[in-house]
Amino acid sequence: MKISLPYSKNKRYLTGIDWIIHVLNYMTLKETGTGFMSQVILELHGKVDALQIESSLSAFMKKYPVLNGHTSRDFNLAPYWKIPAAGTGKISFEIIHLTNSHKEGASFDDVLTSLEKGINRPFRNRKEHVAFHLITKGGKSYVAMTFDHLVFDARNAEAFLNIFQKDWEGGEDSGNMTITEPAHLSMWMDKFKAGQRVNRAFLQIADRVPPRVLPLPPGKKIGFKFKILSFSREAAEAITENAFNKAGYLMLMPYALSASVSALHEIFAGRGFASGNYVIPVSIDTRKKEEVMRQVFFNNVSFFIFKVGADLAVRFPELLKSVKEQMYNQVKADLPGDICKASLLMRIAPLPLLGSLLKIYLKGQIASFSFSYVGETSYESSCFMDNKIINIFHMPRVPVPPGIGIFFQQSKENLNIILSYIDGMLTDEESGKIFDLLKSRLGVE
Amino acid sequence: MNKESGEIEETLIKEVAAILSMDQGSVGPEVPLHEMGLDSLGFVELLVVIEKTFKIRLMESGLTRNDFKTIRSLASKIRVMA
Repeated sequence: MKISLPYSKNKRYLTGIDWIIHVLNYMTLKETGTGFMSQVILELHGKVDALQIESSLSAFMKKYPVLNGHTSRDFNLAPYWKIPAAGTGKISFEIIHLTNSHKEGASFDDVLTSLEKGINRPFRNRKEHVAFHLITKGGKSYVAMTFDHLVFDARNAEAFLNIFQKDWEGGEDSGNMTITEPAHLSMWMDKFKAGQRVNRAFLQIADRVPPRVLPLPPGKKIGFKFKILSFSREAAEAITENAFNKAGYLMLMPYALSASVSALHEIFAGRGFASGNYVIPVSIDTRKKEEVMRQVFFNNVSFFIFKVGADLAVRFPELLKSVKEQMYNQVKADLPGDICKASLLMRIAPLPLLGSLLKIYLKGQIASFSFSYVGETSYESSCFMDNKIINIFHMPRVPVPPGIGIFFQQSKENLNIILSYIDGMLTDEESGKIFDLLKSRLGVE
Repeated sequence: MNKESGEIEETLIKEVAAILSMDQGSVGPEVPLHEMGLDSLGFVELLVVIEKTFKIRLMESGLTRNDFKTIRSLASKIRVMA
């Protein structure tokens, strides 16, 4: 694989979105002791050869020194990712063998507990950004790649594993991968105008009172808990059918977001919240699959910001209408594009300052919960090494605040819904209720 | 199909191809948009282009599958509304 680095072999300038991710990482680290990390998990049929996986991944990772980089600032103050001359061949690789539980239903809970330990463990040092865990349980194996959001977004992490698989199969070169990024130190007026538009959009979202948020549990070393709901192809098709009928053709994302708002509202209402609306940032990735394969590293997302009145959350048709209208208006105004441009201006601000500035609009808060809908996997093969894939799912640590998020993610055969929250933020009863309500709203009880 | 519908179809094919990064020749007027890989975001981008080009705002129209599923059905809908 050829990697082009025309500017400098050891420097990759950070985009504004990369810098926002750095801020979210800083805030999450400050609140929980661990950064803004995520995990992509391949659930596989059969047992895998642990030694072979570890050695293959080690050899592969060594080709990408970018994964052992760290953040620095240039003489012109533009932040960049400093790439070492050579990658390390020593990767974090943990093997966990779980014995079969007598209770079949408890089987995945054991796996989930092990995965949670993996995603809640900080990286060993500032130059480590990827770690692997192999969990075996009965006739299944789980290969989990924990990654730092500073180096990958969700689709990029899948794409990276996809390149590994192609490399392992000895397949064709998948093309030229680009790591370069200009410093973006020109066209200032364009960026300032985008900043004005983003500012106006945020002022429209701001109310006199802060949005509804669930309080963070006390403590500074808090892990994340996860609940995962996997729908079969048939159930996923039924959800799509319901979305097309209730929200309109191809309106799956607004339908899923509306169902999520509606479900979480019940929890807020059950806690006695009486004031404030909901503010939900939705991360989006507009790249086509080929583009993902070219831009495998760093972050290529942007955001929509939705505001939903608490009164609408109980009236599903009106909630849907509002979400669709907001999405339309934000696409028309190109808010995601403006956020990309405007965020380039923010790179001058140190992370603690920018973290505080982000909270100004919403009276000390950032959002009620995070949401995303990833409709297309970047992992192409039906196998990982020689093992057939059953499912691919993600376990993201949500930025803190808000420390809670709902993610819809399509793998090859399944639609997965992942609820991610700071341990102690929800009771088991509440997290179970959220999934029951989601199933009900999506019409697949 | 009359000349007007044909022109609308051509415009839509061009836009769908741009959104999906496909060759215009690969965009079939009778292939359901979701089978071509269009998702919610891509579809909303298309609706915005339709508003800018034909001055019709379709987002509030119900987005029924029969009217929106293919470029051909969408072109008919636009022709009736324009």
